[in-house]
Amino acid sequence: MATEGAGNLASGSWRVELGSCAGQRMLSSERLALPDYEYLAQRHVLTYMEDAVCQLLENKEDISQYGIARFFTEYFNSVCQGTHILFREFSFIQATPHNRASFLRAFWRCFRTVGKNGDLLTMKEYHCLLQLLCPDFPLELTQKAARIVLMDDAMDCLMSFSDFLLAFQIQFYYSEFLESVAAIYQDLLSGKNPNAVIVPTSSSGQHRQRPTLGEAGMLEGVEASLFSQCLENLCDRHKYSCPPLALVKEVLSNVQRLTFYGFLVALSKHHGINQALGALPDKGDLMHDPAMDEELERLVVRSRLHRTSRQHRAEEPGAFGFQRRDKLEAPERVPSASATTPYPYRWEPRE
Amino acid sequence: MIPGKYRSVSGRATNNVNCGLHLVIQTSSLPEKNKVEFKLHKETPSFPGRLLQHDLERNYSSRQGDGRVISPSPRNKSSCISSTTNVTELCGLEMKTTTSSFSAFGDSSIQTPSKSRIRQGCHSAGPNVSGEHINLVSSSMPSFPILQRSSEEKILYSDRLTLERQKLTVCPIIDGEEHLRLLNFQHNFITRIQNISNLQKLIFLDLYDNQIEEISGLCTLRSLRVLLLGKNRIKKISNLENLKSLDVLDLHGNQITTIENVNHLCDLRVLNLARNLLSHVDNLNGLDSLTELNLRHNQITFVRDVDNLPSLQRLFLSFNNISTFESVCCLADSTSLSDITFDGNPIAQESWYRHTVLQNMMQLRQLDMKRITEEERRMASVIAKKEEEKKRESHKQSLLKEKKRLTINNVARKWDLQQQRVTNIATNQDGKDSDSPSQDPCQVDGSTISAFPEETGSLDSGLSNALQGLSVTDTYLVEVDGDTLSLYGSGALESLDRNWSVQTAGMVTTVSFTFIEFDEIVQVLPKLKIKFPNSLHLKFKETNLVMLQQFNALAQLRRIDQLTVDPQGNPVVSFTLWKYYVLFRLSHFSMQKINGTEVTQNDMIMAERLFGILAHVASSELPQYRLISILGDARKKQFRYLLESKGKKPGIVNEENNDSKRLAGENTNRATLNYTTRDFYNEKLEEIKEKKKFCKTYIEDLVKEATEINMKNEALQKLWPQMFIELVRDAVIEIRNKNSYMKLCLQKITDQK
Repeated sequence: MATEGAGNLASGSWRVELGSCAGQRMLSSERLALPDYEYLAQRHVLTYMEDAVCQLLENKEDISQYGIARFFTEYFNSVCQGTHILFREFSFIQATPHNRASFLRAFWRCFRTVGKNGDLLTMKEYHCLLQLLCPDFPLELTQKAARIVLMDDAMDCLMSFSDFLLAFQIQFYYSEFLESVAAIYQDLLSGKNPNAVIVPTSSSGQHRQRPTLGEAGMLEGVEASLFSQCLENLCDRHKYSCPPLALVKEVLSNVQRLTFYGFLVALSKHHGINQALGALPDKGDLMHDPAMDEELERLVVRSRLHRTSRQHRAEEPGAFGFQRRDKLEAPERVPSASATTPYPYRWEPRE
Repeated sequence: MIPGKYRSVSGRATNNVNCGLHLVIQTSSLPEKNKVEFKLHKETPSFPGRLLQHDLERNYSSRQGDGRVISPSPRNKSSCISSTTNVTELCGLEMKTTTSSFSAFGDSSIQTPSKSRIRQGCHSAGPNVSGEHINLVSSSMPSFPILQRSSEEKILYSDRLTLERQKLTVCPIIDGEEHLRLLNFQHNFITRIQNISNLQKLIFLDLYDNQIEEISGLCTLRSLRVLLLGKNRIKKISNLENLKSLDVLDLHGNQITTIENVNHLCDLRVLNLARNLLSHVDNLNGLDSLTELNLRHNQITFVRDVDNLPSLQRLFLSFNNISTFESVCCLADSTSLSDITFDGNPIAQESWYRHTVLQNMMQLRQLDMKRITEEERRMASVIAKKEEEKKRESHKQSLLKEKKRLTINNVARKWDLQQQRVTNIATNQDGKDSDSPSQDPCQVDGSTISAFPEETGSLDSGLSNALQGLSVTDTYLVEVDGDTLSLYGSGALESLDRNWSVQTAGMVTTVSFTFIEFDEIVQVLPKLKIKFPNSLHLKFKETNLVMLQQFNALAQLRRIDQLTVDPQGNPVVSFTLWKYYVLFRLSHFSMQKINGTEVTQNDMIMAERLFGILAHVASSELPQYRLISILGDARKKQFRYLLESKGKKPGIVNEENNDSKRLAGENTNRATLNYTTRDFYNEKLEEIKEKKKFCKTYIEDLVKEATEINMKNEALQKLWPQMFIELVRDAVIEIRNKNSYMKLCLQKITDQK
């Protein structure tokens, strides 16, 4: 009996995962090439199964009230919709590429209005916003993202929402990849060849002597072609997600030499990479989300009503009247909230 | 010359309008009348200036208090002349009275022995009588005139001699008058006392209004009892050594700066030092008989030694520079003093003046010429008692204040140390994070603590050292001031457990937190809600508010009208969005003010615009199981609402609904935005990790099992067609020979039987 349940469970989640993550590109032959378990692990199906059971354990009393089947349905639905990461712990949010993309998208959706308002914020403030969605979001990641936008010595400067978001996207989504890149870059700078590819002596010599002030603009960073070679190598064996190699090459082909942060800036501004990542709309459309705007208008109007009704109530004497009114009001408020739930929201992240 | 002098006298009268007027009219204080009197003075220039002067001075003194001698009534309506007669008569009376005879006249130089003489002078109304009575004969000596009197004169006034207004520049040689007891040199220009050493019987010497610069030539006048040296140019009290029986010493209107060389005058009863240049009163011991001391119109700032005057009854300190009671406090120790004046001093302007003086000098009978009534004394003592209480209270207050200050300092120091440590740990943590970004933060936390034991240890010892150095050991402070409850230091939070009186608790509308971690505050918020239901205004200072989400914690309160977050120690205030976030998250409170700024409708709309979507996403897109787990226990009841209205199965059975009613006020879609303190959160993460570990193995097992089954299934699927074929073949082979098969079957059936 238990075995059967497990089997059902496994196949159930499988389907969801196939639908959401793997997409059509996943060929069945490819699937069959791997043992089942590894395949599931690689596609992060196990992660979600584990998490689902974990969530179930955490709220077992409540969930048992409305049905375990219902719970699993909801769980995997929310995974598909990308809402499963809201207010979750950081370790979960960064566990899978899908989660990361979902988080990026959620961040963009929730705080797009901040950017739209035109406010420029500091790194710390962005960090606070991130923490609203993920209470234990590490400061360090935000700092790294800010470093892409800002100069090293100007970390307290203000950033626009879109600049930060795009930089943050690269930093967050590809954080492991970027770390490897940073290591490669450092190696290149110090003249070592991380991939044991033969480095022309001339260039290595150039790097050894730190560029003087006058030629800093010219000699700063590393040679693009060499760097590109190394990255290609890296992408091949990297087990974490990396940006599409073709696009990376495109970025690198435009310049002769570049610095690490120059590379990151180029990545973050690259429209194709953003598209490939698929969490955010194009830069031009970053402030654009008509469905949500519509919803927001409704909310604003409601809050205005709410406030005025509250003011009326405040004039009423006695706290009891106050409470009773609230009680009556609550049900009528809720349907409007639930009415928005079926809002068709599905998006397909690409890998 | 003389009219000029009059003018100066009347001028002085104008200066002292009050006194002069009072003097003549005595009891009346009507200014018109005073003016009238004054005019009278002016209009009678022939009137002897001396009398006028006397009148003035006498009136000072009489006003100062000797009502028993001069009865004011007869003089009230009297004309100037009659008043002068009165004066003289009174003087006469005075003479007959006993000890206090001179006292009534203060700095006056008019004296009784010249009664008849004065009367004569008055009647004749001439400035002087020189020609009539006295012949000044130029002596053989070039500089000193020799005085001789006619025999009738001598008989008539055998023991007195008056040389008023004789324009004398030196003392004349007085011959054959050894029996003289009274000598009057008033209003001359004498610069030096000379030629009187032979008058050994002299009792009364009047040198009023001369130009004497030094007291001298008196050493032989052992019987002198009255010495009048008013209005001269004396700078120093000296050469009085032999005048042991001196009764009255008048030195008013001189340039004396210190009281000295008088300690041997044990019979002196009246000392007049008015209108001198004294800056203080001192060196009075030995004046055992002194009953009246006139020190008016000096520049005295403090009085000492008066308690060494056993007989002193009247002390006139009007028009000096006394500003505190402390500077004259020796007066309180004088048992004999009954009459004192302080008018014209700064001290008399103080509101506390009269009752303080009365309270400290119970022996007084008159103060500033006013009789002290019992009622007044009682009032004074009541006021003094109150004052005393107030003082004690204020002292206590200042003690408390000081203690409070020290405590706050102490708390602040502790806080700083703590903050330093926290940031240290934070940086350590960051460092760790960068090493292993994928790690669980709570694990990082644990490892840092274990990795830096020495550091925390040393900091701890530093902290305790600092604490030992402090005299105040209190590490927290709780203060209720009116409607404000102030908490300093995390220890203060425990005070919320105390049993607060209903009244106090009801009164508190403002709660201020200083030097307390916000996370610690969060834990007591439910208590705060219960204990201080009326708290409407929360203040945070040095509370380590760093994140917007921390404000979520405030949503659980009953009501907040005002929020004040001091930028000091609360980095969150530097964010541009914090106000809007507060407004958004706490919109159910309809807050009035944030950091003292009125909240406008536009602010509210802005807040909604900025964060509305967040709330919307949080409420409408969260899967239901997440909603439940986020809302936590307290909110489940409220959440039940949501469930019910959504037409789904109710979550939990609700036994108590008070809370849910209240919570319903909170915008439900915001309830999902809550705050768990870092410690608690870390705990939770730890818990989750445990669960995860379990789930991992569980799922692993399940999946393995499932894949195995799957594999078996697949293998079976592969085998099955072949097996089927084989089975069919076997069966077909079996039934190929129909007869033998039938036989076999029948055999089986029979066997069964």
